[in-house]
Amino acid sequence: MKHWNQVGVPVLILLAAALAQAADRGTLIRESPLYSSAGSSSQKVGQVERGRDLTIQERKDADGQAWFRISMAADQAAQITKELDGWVPGQAMVTASTANGDQIIFGQAVASEHEAEERGGRKGAAQDAQRLYARVAEFFPSSSLAAEAAWRSADIRWQLAKADVRSGTPPEEKYLQEVITRYPNTKQAQLAAFELLEGKLCPEWRGLPDCPEKESAMYEQYAREYPQSPKAAEALYNAAWRQAALADMYRIDNNNSKSDAARKKGTTLAQQIMNQYPQGDWKPRASDLLYKLEKKIPTFGSATQ
Amino acid sequence: MRGLTRILLALWFVLAAAAAFAQDKEQGTTISEVDMYVSPDSTSQRLAQVTRGRDVILVMDRTTLGGKVWAHVLVVVEVNPDRESARQISGWIPNTYLITTATPNGDQIIYGEAVDSENQAQQRGGRRGAAQDAMRLYYRLYEYFPNSPLAGEALWRAADIRWQMEKADERLRPISREMDPGMRDGIDEQTMRLLQKKFPRTKWSDLASFDMIDNKLCGSWKGETKCPEKESEIYEKYAREHPDSPKAAEALYNAAWRQAVLADMYKAQNERDKSEKARKKSVELAQEITTRFAEGDWKPQAMELMHALQQGIPVYDIETKKPAS
Repeated sequence: MKHWNQVGVPVLILLAAALAQAADRGTLIRESPLYSSAGSSSQKVGQVERGRDLTIQERKDADGQAWFRISMAADQAAQITKELDGWVPGQAMVTASTANGDQIIFGQAVASEHEAEERGGRKGAAQDAQRLYARVAEFFPSSSLAAEAAWRSADIRWQLAKADVRSGTPPEEKYLQEVITRYPNTKQAQLAAFELLEGKLCPEWRGLPDCPEKESAMYEQYAREYPQSPKAAEALYNAAWRQAALADMYRIDNNNSKSDAARKKGTTLAQQIMNQYPQGDWKPRASDLLYKLEKKIPTFGSATQ
Repeated sequence: MRGLTRILLALWFVLAAAAAFAQDKEQGTTISEVDMYVSPDSTSQRLAQVTRGRDVILVMDRTTLGGKVWAHVLVVVEVNPDRESARQISGWIPNTYLITTATPNGDQIIYGEAVDSENQAQQRGGRRGAAQDAMRLYYRLYEYFPNSPLAGEALWRAADIRWQMEKADERLRPISREMDPGMRDGIDEQTMRLLQKKFPRTKWSDLASFDMIDNKLCGSWKGETKCPEKESEIYEKYAREHPDSPKAAEALYNAAWRQAVLADMYKAQNERDKSEKARKKSVELAQEITTRFAEGDWKPQAMELMHALQQGIPVYDIETKKPAS
């Protein structure tokens, strides 16, 4: 009992502090101007996009509705510590204490993701989705949607960084690593681990066998480590396809024994897919690859036969 | 009379023999882009390039030269979809790239190549024409392996790729922005109709019905209520008629979202009763989604819509006549 008194008080204080902190944070599910004071007739001092992490400082009624004084990082992407301060109308504000807040933010994240995929969709919609998903996991860590939201946020961030070839910097791994650490042994952790393999692929093979050798081993290891992953069949196929490419490369180099060994390995892996994953698209793809290996149809190199 | 009977019997015999021949003849497609030659020799004159999924309507002969097997085939090498014209050409292609009704696991191989082409089409910098390759390959599977367990899915995918490509083309035409869908030619429904006829009361038939709603949607709403009214009705009807469809939740959401738009439109016109009625209808539909479809992304989207309706967050921008951003 004494022991509980000693431990319990600080724990309760910490818990209360954590709850207070969580309750003071919110996000917008619609873009809104940032005003210098409460009321839409005041001066606009900025713009608050969907999904920004907002610290709520004050609440006030104006124009017949609730207004929130918020502060936020001036540039979250660059992680600059400078803070922006101002007022936003409360209609689109969702906080950790909003009923079904996790579902509401997640729903807007899905809508933004769809918007990003559409031709002529809203500019910045993918970034909106990425931020909104991140907020679900942060504000509602116990939500049934938290793991999926964290994974989707990390995935969008990864895909955006990959597409941004101008920056010349490789995508950061830490967000995917976080998914693996926070949600171990989940489908989402397995998906994050698969995505991380992409960062280890050679940018170009230059016709040399080193890269496909290494990559095939990497994908095969993934399939062995995560046999239940939604990506296990794809990983095995990627390993098999690289063995088929190696068979072609070694054949071109007149290294027949290595070519045969690669073809055999490719065949074994393709057969494994057909046996282990009879449902879905990977079995027919493995059949196609198996046929090509059998008939010695090149899978690497010329486009027209 | 006896003479006529004899003629009819002879005619029936000829037709039956032709049908039997058509069934027995070896047909198929190519799983790679191949050059077609005038004779079984790659140094001979090149006749054409045969792309993936082209219709090999007849395999006439095979021969082995220098250890390589060649097939003498009759191929449809060019189809003009506008004129529905086809050009048939005969020549020799390497046999290894030819998958026919006689190839073991031919259905799996063609389907696998089709999936591969579809993935190529979705990749940035993917192979040019890969979507068309996928469409043809999927169709060939259905055509030449109608009893395969993959036939239904393959025909659906062929129909859907065709639909999406035509939809993208149509959007580029100025007439696509006409309010009345009747003003447009509409996307060709032939393959979708074939799918529904061959695979009635299946998931694929439901999916085809959902795609075909595109032809009934207004090109633009121009801020008028009649389009979202009608479209909401169409989507709700779909959800009622196809309750087990993979698109049932999406259809209900589309109906609910249009009702939310109507609430905003009527509110701007100061028609409070109609606005309130649309708002209530939208909430009802969104609630139905949360109850019936607890798994997947449609429940959170419906919850978000209900929250927007509750908080008075507009979903439609009356000034720009577009969904609110």
